[in-house]
Amino acid sequence: AWSMSASAVFVLDLKGKVLICRNYKGDVDMSEIDHFFTLLVQQEEEGLLCPVMSHGNVHFLWIKHSNLYLVATTNKNSNASLVYAFLYKLVEVFTEYFKELEEESIQDNFVVVYELLDELMDFGFPQTTDSKILQEYITQQGNKLEVAKTKVPTTVTNAVSWRSEGIRYKKNEVFIDVIESINVLVNANGSVMSSDIVGSIKLKTMLSGMPELRLGLNDRMLFALTGRDKGKAVTMEDVKFHQCVRLSRFESDRTISFIPPDGESELMSYRINTHVKPLIWIESVIEKFSHSRVEIMVKAKGQFKKQSVANNVEIRVPVPSDADSPKFKTSTGHAKYVPEKNLVVWSIKSFPGGKEFLMRAHFGLPSVENHEMEGRPPITVKFEIPYFTVSGIQVRYMKIIEKSGYQALPWVRYITQSGGERRFA
Amino acid sequence: MPYLGSEEVVKELRRALSNPNVQADRLRYKNYITKVIRYMTQGLDVSALFMDMVKASATVDIVQKKLVYLYMCTYASDKPDLALLAINTLRKDCADPNPMVRGLALRNMCNFRMPGMTEYIEQPIVAGLRDKASYVRRVAVLGCAKMHSLQPNTEIDGTIVNELYALLRDPDPVVVVNCLRALEEILKDEGGVVINKPIAHHLLNRMKDLDSWAQSEVLTFLLRYRPRSDDELFDILSLLDAFLLSSHAHVAVATLRLFLHLASAHPTVQADALLRTSAPLLATCGAASRELRFAGLCHVQQVMRSQPGLFGTHYKRFFCGYSEPSYIKFRKMEILVELVNDENVALVLEELRSYCTDVSPELAQAAIAAIGRIARTYSEKCLDILTGLLGLKQDHITSAVIQTFRDLVWFCPQSTAAVCQTVGACVDSPQDSEGKQALLWLLGEHGDQISSAPYVMEGYIDGLKTELSSAVKMELLTAAVKMFLCRPAETQDMLGRLLHYCIEEESDVCVRDRALLYYRLLQRGVEETRKVVTGPKSDPSMSVLTGRQEEPISEWDSTFNTLGPLAGCDLCPQTAATSAADQPSYDAEEEISLSLGPPLSHETFEKMWLDLETLHRQTLGFPRPRAAPDTLQAALQLVKIQTLAFTPGDTVPWKAYIYTRSTETLILAELLQGDQQAPGSDESLVVSVKQQPVNHMLLNLFFFFFALYDISLLTSTCMLQ
Repeated sequence: AWSMSASAVFVLDLKGKVLICRNYKGDVDMSEIDHFFTLLVQQEEEGLLCPVMSHGNVHFLWIKHSNLYLVATTNKNSNASLVYAFLYKLVEVFTEYFKELEEESIQDNFVVVYELLDELMDFGFPQTTDSKILQEYITQQGNKLEVAKTKVPTTVTNAVSWRSEGIRYKKNEVFIDVIESINVLVNANGSVMSSDIVGSIKLKTMLSGMPELRLGLNDRMLFALTGRDKGKAVTMEDVKFHQCVRLSRFESDRTISFIPPDGESELMSYRINTHVKPLIWIESVIEKFSHSRVEIMVKAKGQFKKQSVANNVEIRVPVPSDADSPKFKTSTGHAKYVPEKNLVVWSIKSFPGGKEFLMRAHFGLPSVENHEMEGRPPITVKFEIPYFTVSGIQVRYMKIIEKSGYQALPWVRYITQSGGERRFA
Repeated sequence: MPYLGSEEVVKELRRALSNPNVQADRLRYKNYITKVIRYMTQGLDVSALFMDMVKASATVDIVQKKLVYLYMCTYASDKPDLALLAINTLRKDCADPNPMVRGLALRNMCNFRMPGMTEYIEQPIVAGLRDKASYVRRVAVLGCAKMHSLQPNTEIDGTIVNELYALLRDPDPVVVVNCLRALEEILKDEGGVVINKPIAHHLLNRMKDLDSWAQSEVLTFLLRYRPRSDDELFDILSLLDAFLLSSHAHVAVATLRLFLHLASAHPTVQADALLRTSAPLLATCGAASRELRFAGLCHVQQVMRSQPGLFGTHYKRFFCGYSEPSYIKFRKMEILVELVNDENVALVLEELRSYCTDVSPELAQAAIAAIGRIARTYSEKCLDILTGLLGLKQDHITSAVIQTFRDLVWFCPQSTAAVCQTVGACVDSPQDSEGKQALLWLLGEHGDQISSAPYVMEGYIDGLKTELSSAVKMELLTAAVKMFLCRPAETQDMLGRLLHYCIEEESDVCVRDRALLYYRLLQRGVEETRKVVTGPKSDPSMSVLTGRQEEPISEWDSTFNTLGPLAGCDLCPQTAATSAADQPSYDAEEEISLSLGPPLSHETFEKMWLDLETLHRQTLGFPRPRAAPDTLQAALQLVKIQTLAFTPGDTVPWKAYIYTRSTETLILAELLQGDQQAPGSDESLVVSVKQQPVNHMLLNLFFFFFALYDISLLTSTCMLQ
């Protein structure tokens, strides 16, 4: 009763049909999975769905991803967060292999899926779960066995488990993306209910050999990171580094030093829980004239500095499900009605700071009114602002040292995105 | 599913697989094998192809091999006699020069779940444990557990158990944690793997090398260890400290659980750990994965049982996102109710008010109930909101509000007047039986304060014939009797009709009996009835005044981070049993530590050595130390092992006799190097052990010591001193 041990792992389609199953332990009858879908449907009808379901002694821990259910069965009182983390690891690994994880990609690649399931877990215990390492010996082409070639990659047992030796690039470069996503919640009265910034530094490393990297951030950020900035406004919470970063080094002299994984990886992520005003401020007036029409007026204002531009702005305004015959007028961009989602999507290709735009929409309403209660979803805003971060984080330098002494170029980009929602009553 | 019937498909495939032309074309052959596996996955029985598939396993194509192995594992238990034919191929692969092939073959051979496998897999497993590739050792270690699960009732193989304990010092971290997993499985009847001091410290020192899965599990295994002194305890806690803030939620909570368990006698340390983990716990409550977010919320709820104030300032984190699933919203609302205080009450209520109109009726009702809970402290504000909700004229909302009113009046009698005024003015009556019962209870209990009460009740009595719910009828009876006691003139007539109907025409026996009971009671007179029906009640409002009690951490830490709190119940009653079974292992562990004890004379040693059987012989994998005899002797004494005699200098073969004890048991051992009769021992030490009396646990410990503290290392430390 102590260990995690999943007894078996299943991948099901939306109708509950088993697409893939792997019986790791043999201590739970494989036909138990038939109860999973029955329970799921039953709980869904009662509105009491729960990520843990039990049938007798068997517990189902499940997640849903696109049109699939991933289910682990166990008859032990397992460590729940670990089982979910493992199921999400499966999603992550499969996604890296197939780009999209969905029914079709599982069907098309079931041989690789089985190969992966065999390496990811043995007897119900997670084994090799790093997709970078798995990719070295399980490929979609299927590798022919030639004794010299297919040996266990050194990374499986390497001291540096996230990077193999002997990587070669003609041109040595590393791309650093600083991405911040801001989440702001505004209530009907226009006051900010909650706001935070979720940031991440992503690397695309194309460097030969075993390079030693050192990342320098601006002092203000470093202070915020180490929490020594008690008096000032910004403190970072929930700072996570990739396992390659030497934490002891960071704690002693605030240096972020590491041997990077090859290719794309997330070096660090953080969250700043601070008061941020919405970068695109929305005001809306929605007037509903029963049995005849709905009139919507939305005003959007860019509350960021004039030199910056928000790209691919999308403002999604919910409308009643029985609305029809839409008419739009916009001061910029264009509006589109998406009836299957009961939305008007107002798209603006580029939205300069300080500017203000308007959109008016007119809908007809049927004379026989829909009496069903409808939820009141929020207006949501999506955008991207390049060359700008809300927190003010800056990469000061990136030093790259490799024993062969090659010259390598670091490139830095900054992007702010929205993940926010605004709502109204 | 294929268009052809399954028999046709199998026939078709067999024809193709046995066709020499297909076999000659590797790609075509492999395509057919892939097809077999695809049908197998779709649930078609292709077990009839077993022989053809066994043949296909003799290939250099590793993917083809894997497919065939998968096939064999699936059908081995149905076709045990045919599966035996495959074993030769697999055993051959177990000796392949490529470690990948060795590992694959061994893993799959161990996955054949059929009786009689043990005799075929034992040798490859034992060889695998000593394989130079860690990939193979990982597989072999879990193979030991698989082998045991094939025959769970046979006697435990002491040799394998010893090897596994020794492999805890393997350089590969996955091998280490697989050893723990395997030992736990094999020794489950004896209380699982023993975590004594050297093992615990060894694991703690390896923590940073392990991946997050392994860390999480090792932390759980360490729950079994109890430090001997406060000094040791605090050393361990400071080693674990960094893991409290692990970026993996499951590691952070596993660490917290261990912290709370170890520091059970130090409440300030526990409180500090909870404070420090509050940030990562909050972070999990905002995790991208909704299931992890859910688990995080459940953890927060458990922590709040002891530290209700810990998350107070972060109440906004528990506001619901529009698209979050209900199970998350339910938990968040439960937490919000607990976090309400004078400063945030207005915002929290505004938030909860917006959930009351959610499209999911269950959620809306939960939000209304949550406001009702807050109303026990902040009655006025909440009553305004609840009354406002009645104006929406939605059946499910009205019903939930009235149920909330009933509970509120019960817990907070001071709000009765306000509630009665609202109920009196509310025209809509609820449609579901819970709502009806609640309204009837209010009418009966406080009929004197609701002027329209008799008229509302009359409506129910008139509609009795169409009422389906017995519970509603029972409540109606009680309410009508209570109302008769306070407003007899208005009620007498309808009560008579109600009793008549329920006694003469009602088909439900319970309702009939209840009606008869009231009828007879009323015959005894109004005062008698009043004494029985409206007698004194307990005063639940006391509990509101005294507030919530903070529970001790020990109330919940044993289920922390298990499935129970997530499923909303204690899932596994054996948790209690496990922790009880776990208790003796502390004591057992006290007993099985080694001690020097009084020295043995040469004569006694010699006599016992000749009398006893050799219990175990093992090659240690390292050569004998090249140290002066007294250094070696001192080194062994450090680990509580006495030396009786050595061969001097570089004489070959080199021998040493050593012994140690533990309460009742004496262990004698011979170290030997360079014996021509024992192959392979020219390089490394061979140790043979005898025991009086036999105690396997102790033997494990002895080997662990030997393996962990490579003697050469020990001697070098001694020489430094």
